[in-house]
Amino acid sequence: MFSVALILTVLIGYLATGIASGDVDWSDLATNPTWDPMNGTFGALAMIYGSAVVCALALLLAVPVGWAAAVALTEYLPPRLAKPLRLSVELLAAVPSIVYGLVGVMVVRPFVAALGDVPGGDSLLAAGIVLAVMIMPTIVAVSVDALAAVPGRYREAAYSLGLTRREVVRSAVLPQARSGMRAGVLLGLARALGEAIAVFLVVGRADGRLPESLGGFFSSLVHPGQTLTAKLAGPEPMLAGTSGPYFAALCGLGIILLALVAAATVWGTRGTSSRATKRGLRPRRASAWLRIPRDRLATLLRLGALLLPGTLLVGMLAILVTRGSSALNPAFWFSPATGAASGGVSGQILGTLLLIATAALIALPLGYGAGILIGAHASARTARVLETVTVAIGGTPTILLGLAGYVLFSMTMGWGRSWLAGAIVLVPVVVPVVALTTAGRIRSMPSELTESALALGLTRAQYIRSVVIPYTWPATLTGLLLGLARAAGETAPLIFTATVFFGAPALPTGIVNSPVQALPTHIFTLSQDSNAPEAINQAWGSALVLVLITAVLLSLAVALRNRFEGARWTT
Amino acid sequence: MDNVIAVRDLRVLDGKKTLVGPVTFELAAGSTTGLCGPSGAGKSTVLRALVDLLPHGLTRDGHLEVQGRTIRRGNGDADLRSTVVLVPQTPVVFGGSILDNALFGLRHLVRASRADMRDRVEQALREASLWNEVRDRLDTPAQTLSNGQRQRLCLARALALEPAALLLDEPTSALDERSRDTVEESVAALRGNRTVLLVSHDPAQVERLCDHTVRLELPETLALSSAAV
Repeated sequence: MFSVALILTVLIGYLATGIASGDVDWSDLATNPTWDPMNGTFGALAMIYGSAVVCALALLLAVPVGWAAAVALTEYLPPRLAKPLRLSVELLAAVPSIVYGLVGVMVVRPFVAALGDVPGGDSLLAAGIVLAVMIMPTIVAVSVDALAAVPGRYREAAYSLGLTRREVVRSAVLPQARSGMRAGVLLGLARALGEAIAVFLVVGRADGRLPESLGGFFSSLVHPGQTLTAKLAGPEPMLAGTSGPYFAALCGLGIILLALVAAATVWGTRGTSSRATKRGLRPRRASAWLRIPRDRLATLLRLGALLLPGTLLVGMLAILVTRGSSALNPAFWFSPATGAASGGVSGQILGTLLLIATAALIALPLGYGAGILIGAHASARTARVLETVTVAIGGTPTILLGLAGYVLFSMTMGWGRSWLAGAIVLVPVVVPVVALTTAGRIRSMPSELTESALALGLTRAQYIRSVVIPYTWPATLTGLLLGLARAAGETAPLIFTATVFFGAPALPTGIVNSPVQALPTHIFTLSQDSNAPEAINQAWGSALVLVLITAVLLSLAVALRNRFEGARWTT
Repeated sequence: MDNVIAVRDLRVLDGKKTLVGPVTFELAAGSTTGLCGPSGAGKSTVLRALVDLLPHGLTRDGHLEVQGRTIRRGNGDADLRSTVVLVPQTPVVFGGSILDNALFGLRHLVRASRADMRDRVEQALREASLWNEVRDRLDTPAQTLSNGQRQRLCLARALALEPAALLLDEPTSALDERSRDTVEESVAALRGNRTVLLVSHDPAQVERLCDHTVRLELPETLALSSAAV
């Protein structure tokens, strides 16, 4: 738990010292659309507008389809079909965002360019579509869990009263699953808000665009814009130094972002709201009008909604395998890069493995300790608070972790770009997953086990060592693998702290000024050069390699998880 | 007297294997029939087969007639289930008030004014002998009811649909002794007015509540294999 507190302290400390290092004019930050560091004008309104529009678009596109697809998966498809589909949705939810970014550059941008008069296709709309594609699997996966948790006897009781399937879903299933499905949306929203890299690649990064009329609003959708995260992922944090008003204003952006994401996360993890019960008390209206046609229509729409995630799955696979075919050649895996965009990616693979292995070493004891604290030591109320905090850390925009690491390690401690800094910055991505799976497993421990152990006179420490640890280690390991699958695809924390595109030895020899190359950075850099076919081929190949690495980690985790009951934390 | 349900050689199959049956019986209108047999014979499964609510992978075989209409295999639909209503063993109470729960099926099936709906609900609650206990608190959450009251609420929301037949799946086995008596009284009060098929493992209960008895034996395949053990 100490670790979790430490991460929070560092992050908040970074943002606080940032603000303290120069005056932040908060009202200007919140209301002025102009961002002009040269003249000392720092207004974030246009970025806040951009973030809001992009997320709203993403939710607008992803939520109806995601919810309908989740209902189709659990209530309409036979288990034989639904099971593999559920698994593939979970896999999609774990695909690194940089890969979605690449899809955005190569597929969504041309699509938007064809829609309207948008040179290149960089626009808020493109960013919204990319985010929608990215968060839809998350929404489906969490909603499916919520729906599957509704006991079958509710369905049976409703069916046996002669209700159609649509009516059963509406009256018996959805009321029970509502809070879980809402949590899925908020989790998706938190991901969308905090996503830096995929947005960075397609949003156009044009400052100061704020529409003044309704027509202006619609035209702003198909024009380049700026979001909070894209600003922070750009070159400016490196130009701003580590003190002064410029730096302070950037930290202010970070605080706004963190507050928005934390609000979404905390709201999402809250239990059933009091409003839900009140709504239940009011007799709901229902009509017996056109029951059968409406049931058929609902069936059609819901099964139809499955097409979109289905197409997504098949499309992603197809595009990765056809475009990334270079990755199917073993030489690509085992030879180093030659020049900017040829040769293999062995250095990048080694770098990625080094980063996540180091992160795993640090995160395992920290996450495990935190998990035991939440699961076994804290009182029920403290545990709930700690759990919410842990979830909030897991949802922290990784770009902020990267910036905090940049200021702390690269500047203040003088490490420059260092693989160790990168690994440490990845730790907060892994720790919450480990802690939550461990705590969940401890909670599922039969109480007889605890009772009989304590009845034998074991001390707390002996009890943990001889009862809790043997019972929980598979869950902990699953959590670690899931966390690493996420960490392997992270780009935002690394670009400032640890990785370079080219010119680093495959394995570093020291700590200070010892960068590595890594797959996500490789894809990120190459995909900004979308006009060079060479570079794009290389990017797709690297993307396929990265997806395969993630898939291996994930399937190990799934295999382990299938040996015991436990919550799912891939998203 | 007319038969509400007629069943001939009904079996429940898992692929080709017979899990339950065969069983043959008729439910005369207004009668209460007990379905009993050794545990594992598939009494509850027979009820689900009658309304096509079998678990995934199981199929119904044999002849089934409801109100003179032949129900073909896999052809059960919402219509069938609002005519022949199953009340599951464990009472299921949905979120919302007692009134919401009593209206649960009715409000989807019938177009009627609110007052008419309320009348029908009151009628059903009276028939299930629950009205006097809940008349003053119809708007309170149904979760506050005791187990026995919940089971009678489930009975009431089935009765509100005016079904041609009621299928009761061990209505008292999930209850303690006192609630069991109250539910038994409600079931006894239906005798003569409603067509009921009651599953029970308790011969004494069947004796107390039913006009006829149908025995369900273990299917031959299972009987042989258990005899061999």
